[in-house]
Amino acid sequence: MTDIIFTDKQPSALNNQLTTNKTNCPYCGVGCGIEATVENNKVIAVKGNKLHPANLGRLCVKGSSLHETQGVKNRILSPRIDGEAVSWDQATSKIAKHFQETIAQYGPDSVAFYLSGQLLTEDYYVANKLMKGFIGSANVDTNSRLCMASASTAHKRAFGEDIVAGCYDDLSAAEAIFIIGANPAYAHPIVYQRMIKAREENPTRKIVVIDPRKTASAKDADLYLAIKPGSDAYFYNGLLMYLAEQGHLNNDYIAKHCQGFEQTLQTAQSQFADISAVAKACDIELSLLLESYQIFAETDKVVTFFSQGINQSSSGVDKGNAIINCHLATGKIGREGAAAFSITGQPNAMGGREVGGLSTQLAAHLHFENPNEIDLVKRFWQAPNIATKQGLKAVDLFDAVDSGKIKAIWIMATNPVVSMPNANLVKRALKKCPMVVVSECYENTDTVAYADVVLPASTWGEKHGSVTNSDRTISVHKSMLKAPGEARHDWQIITDVAHKLGFKSAFNYQHPVDIFKEHAALSGFENSHPYADKRAKHDVYRVFDISALANISQADYENFIPTKWPINQANPNGVKRLFTDGVFATKNQKANFIPIIAQLPKILPSSTQVVMNSGRIRDQWHTMTRTGRVAKLMTHSNEPYIAVNPEDAQRFKLADKQLAILTNLDAEYIGRVNITDEQRVGEIFVPIHWNDNFSASARASALVNPITDDICGQPEFKHSPVNLKPFNTIWSGYLVSSQAVNCSTQYWSKIQLEQGHKYLLSDQQALAEDETFLANLYPQITDWIVLKDHQKNVLRIAGFIDNQLHCFFAASTDLSLKFNSRYIEDQLNKTLPIKTRFKLMSGIDSDGKGDVGDMICSCFQVGEKTIQAAIKSGDCKSVNSLGEKLKCGTNCGSCIPELKTYLLNG
Amino acid sequence: MANTEKPIIKRSSSKPVQSVVQIKPALVIVGNGMATGRLLDEIIKRTPNKYQITVISKEHFGSYNRIMLSAVLAGEATIDSIMQKPPAWYKAHHINFLSGGVVSYINKEKKYVDLASGVQIDYDELIIATGSRTAKIPAKNQNITGIFNFRNIADTEKIQAFTKQKSISKKQAVVIGGGLLGLEAAYGLALSGVEVTLVHRNKWLLNRQLDKVAGVMLQTIMEQKNINFVLGHEVAAFESNIDKSVTPNNKKTEILSGVTLTNGAFICAQMAVIATGITPNKELAQTSNIEVNRAILVNDYMQTSEPSISALGECCQHKGATFGLVDPIWAQCITLAERLCNSLEKPFYNAPVATKLKVSGVQLFSAGNVEVSEDSQCFTLLDKKALIYRKIIVKNGKISGVVLFGDVSSGMAYFDLMQQATTVTPMLPELLIGEEFVSLSDDEKQVSIA
Repeated sequence: MTDIIFTDKQPSALNNQLTTNKTNCPYCGVGCGIEATVENNKVIAVKGNKLHPANLGRLCVKGSSLHETQGVKNRILSPRIDGEAVSWDQATSKIAKHFQETIAQYGPDSVAFYLSGQLLTEDYYVANKLMKGFIGSANVDTNSRLCMASASTAHKRAFGEDIVAGCYDDLSAAEAIFIIGANPAYAHPIVYQRMIKAREENPTRKIVVIDPRKTASAKDADLYLAIKPGSDAYFYNGLLMYLAEQGHLNNDYIAKHCQGFEQTLQTAQSQFADISAVAKACDIELSLLLESYQIFAETDKVVTFFSQGINQSSSGVDKGNAIINCHLATGKIGREGAAAFSITGQPNAMGGREVGGLSTQLAAHLHFENPNEIDLVKRFWQAPNIATKQGLKAVDLFDAVDSGKIKAIWIMATNPVVSMPNANLVKRALKKCPMVVVSECYENTDTVAYADVVLPASTWGEKHGSVTNSDRTISVHKSMLKAPGEARHDWQIITDVAHKLGFKSAFNYQHPVDIFKEHAALSGFENSHPYADKRAKHDVYRVFDISALANISQADYENFIPTKWPINQANPNGVKRLFTDGVFATKNQKANFIPIIAQLPKILPSSTQVVMNSGRIRDQWHTMTRTGRVAKLMTHSNEPYIAVNPEDAQRFKLADKQLAILTNLDAEYIGRVNITDEQRVGEIFVPIHWNDNFSASARASALVNPITDDICGQPEFKHSPVNLKPFNTIWSGYLVSSQAVNCSTQYWSKIQLEQGHKYLLSDQQALAEDETFLANLYPQITDWIVLKDHQKNVLRIAGFIDNQLHCFFAASTDLSLKFNSRYIEDQLNKTLPIKTRFKLMSGIDSDGKGDVGDMICSCFQVGEKTIQAAIKSGDCKSVNSLGEKLKCGTNCGSCIPELKTYLLNG
Repeated sequence: MANTEKPIIKRSSSKPVQSVVQIKPALVIVGNGMATGRLLDEIIKRTPNKYQITVISKEHFGSYNRIMLSAVLAGEATIDSIMQKPPAWYKAHHINFLSGGVVSYINKEKKYVDLASGVQIDYDELIIATGSRTAKIPAKNQNITGIFNFRNIADTEKIQAFTKQKSISKKQAVVIGGGLLGLEAAYGLALSGVEVTLVHRNKWLLNRQLDKVAGVMLQTIMEQKNINFVLGHEVAAFESNIDKSVTPNNKKTEILSGVTLTNGAFICAQMAVIATGITPNKELAQTSNIEVNRAILVNDYMQTSEPSISALGECCQHKGATFGLVDPIWAQCITLAERLCNSLEKPFYNAPVATKLKVSGVQLFSAGNVEVSEDSQCFTLLDKKALIYRKIIVKNGKISGVVLFGDVSSGMAYFDLMQQATTVTPMLPELLIGEEFVSLSDDEKQVSIA
């Protein structure tokens, strides 16, 4: 097979002066290795790194578009104070002075850092050290709180340490995979492809999907259970009961390697009389439930693959433990193909946890609960002022900003105005806060708008440092590009501020390798295995130990071969799988069964409400600051939507493709109704990505109640009772534009195009009479073509500059019309013959060609109509033959579930 | 068949007598304009030998394409090239062609016509095709040298002679009337190097065929062709100089020096062309006690109040309408020919007419009623820079009027849809851009059009 190289350059342009660099994808938690080709300080092509254990050469559509996300456009190029460009010296002095004064007056807990799983381990390490070791507060939390806190805490409770024991190879080796609260087909395509490939190779392998939503992963499952939202712990507690009843327990394993089983089983049994009561609680048929339990019980190698559907819950920690309990009870753990596998959402969520980047952790898998651990870190850092207690978790942290307890906050590489629950409170809090510092690479993120000091940060391709993916693999991102303008690396910025705060000697870093070595040294500091070393202090032992790298050379660091930790004297080449000997990280080395009383979400909907679930869509990432710049990533799903069951659509009087509005708290979300039986009745789904930069009103998180897990503080993103009603507008239409503009319609949504932008528009105000409203948006345009009817039912306007099409607006009061503007997009920025250019107002080519329908394969831009035509012609009867003919599905494979649906429906 | 031809019998006006041997019925046509030309074709096509035909023509030429006179004036055509039926043609078709003849009276009872020359001509069927003349305008001093009409070859020759005069160094002309004829005259003059100002009573040009938007665009284009416009005003008076150089018989000749407008403005001009519209030539019928109104009244079969006398063309009035464009007149010719030749009663239907302007570089199409009424829907497309404008007016779901300017593609398709009273609502607004955009299936439309 030839390599698939993603590039927008012609091969002939791929000549000399090129460098190829091994780096990593900055998106999801899979952490794929990438080979990037650089020319003239620009990545012109990317391909998967065949030697990286995470992806073995494959890339998903987001990863394979990475080269298209670059460019100086929209990058922040210089530091700013109150909107004025300043020097780095002025900016860091301002921050240091303000933080110093605030701490002096109100104490260290009056300041906070809010970090991100997008940061590299070195950035994380320096920020965490500064706050916890030197400022003396643990108010440093991260967006990993929104994503991994539950799993991380569940691991610690069960294993004594936050450890994912398995690895991606287990996904290929498993005989059955239970995917619960995850949609890897969309969110983690590369590991999903592994599961599918393994099943293809051996069809006896089963994939069981448990999800209230019939996701793309669910559609391709061997068994699908549409459980009631939040009933996941019922499911696993029921499984534990079943295993006990049916004699599938591994009593030997339980006795030898675990503790607390009896109480755990009793607790599970106390909640339900029998399995049929569990089925009822999960709202699924008993037979389906039993079928799935039987698969789990009778299959030797089982992996439970879980993610945000488990974590983002008010009882997320318990759910994680309910899963782990079943794996411990059957000994399906620490073996090839057997694991409770938590996958992270972000590329370095695990690296952040390793440095202790959450407010509930101290550093290097050391915690506040043990004074010896605090003492250890204090001595290692020679920290005069070490924090001694947990800091505020994300939701509480922003509450404290709102209440004025926190008076200065530094946000790095994340967009909490979009991503936090009750995000309007975050807006309000940041507005009030006397000092908001935002380190960010892109302009116009919703959070930058609230910053007093804006710091331009480097981004993917420019940054240099390490990350740890979901299976403990540490990889090094290599700096390949010079950052634009005055942008700097996060660790440099933090180091500078630390110097100005008077901590120069403790932050004497010249290169990320300096930080990495210190991090590695800390992981091994006074960390001897209790059995190997009689003098070892048992209570500070941690499995996370990469001390073999404490003296790594810069060259070795830069060419670091991806390795799974621990990496220490005993295991210099890392460890593929942990707990293989049944020895855990607890004091007595036994895994803990955790008794779980399964709980439903805290706030249940009223009779007039629906439950809003939220999540990722296939081709977007987080708040779209990067993926929103790539045209082809907008082709699969291009506007905020609301997936609704047909029954609910009838109940709330919603038509397919019309707009609807969701309200909760003081926030609203306007999106397009997508009627689908993928949703259960009473439950809707919205994507998390859209924000004020991309749509009028589509920050889903603003509607999420700030309800969190009592133990770990992770918010309940997956279950928000909201009000739903139609958003009836008078007209709808689109604007295709070669420049970005500020729309003022009640509904608008921005779509990136190759040539510019497209805006979908709709309003409750009458359609404009003429081009005046557009002339206000485009003062430089005087050359217009206007098509209208005098009753204001139809309006189409084309604007030209130097005879080139610059913008095109089309709207109608007939709301049933769809908005395919492909032909118009093709004409954008083209010089059109003056005598015939008016024909453009049809919006279509006169021969009607050029419409391939909704985009299904983003990698190769294959549309729905093209696929349907190929199937109809009889040429293509399988996914493979479609791939051979149209190339669709042959790269990242994330459209394969959809291709199968088309094949099934003819 | 030569023996069947008998010379017409000429008699003195004092003692009319019946013809002795009239083998074929006599068909007499008064007037030899374009309507007559076409009618002859239609008759010959059907029954070349049924009638003994006599054509009485005021002009000495045969039949020519009057529509092309503006092209002659513009130098784009010659008089020879627009000649359709020279006198020899009539001879070849055994038609009596009386050039320079003016009919003064019709004796309905005895069925003959009096010519001014004193000759009487009997008829069995008489057709009045006297056409029209330039409408009078209420301006003062109209008997000055240098004021012309623009109706026929003679007018055209006079105007051309003026433009070619070497004695006048700077030639300036005023054209009065912003209808089709006036614009064509102005264009022709401008092309011959005359500095032309067109004075039009209405606020915009071609106000009967165009709306204001298209009228203004037309003006923009015509201004680029070196025509000046004064709109919204009329000529109040023609002004003159006494020409001393030309004074034969010591008679003073008043020569045009310019026009004064109703707003008091003065425009310098050595020539004025009046093209304000037409007045039907109904006087012959009127004197002969045939019913007239604005023009000679005819029924659906082109018969006047006197069954053996028909009328057609610009001199007739059908159901309240008079005519100035060729299309309905061609239809009248067919109705009349069918009745005369085949005794078929094929009623004349005054179908809507599409207008095109014969000015090179101007694409213009107009059909139906271009006014937007309260109960109509109006779709427009305007490209100011390209000077393209398209408008469709829809009433009860059907096209009631069309204006196309700058690009007249699909004009005939609209015209057909209007004629066939097709419901076009589902085709809009795509239809406005071009008929090719509505040929898509509904399914394709759904996904392609916003």
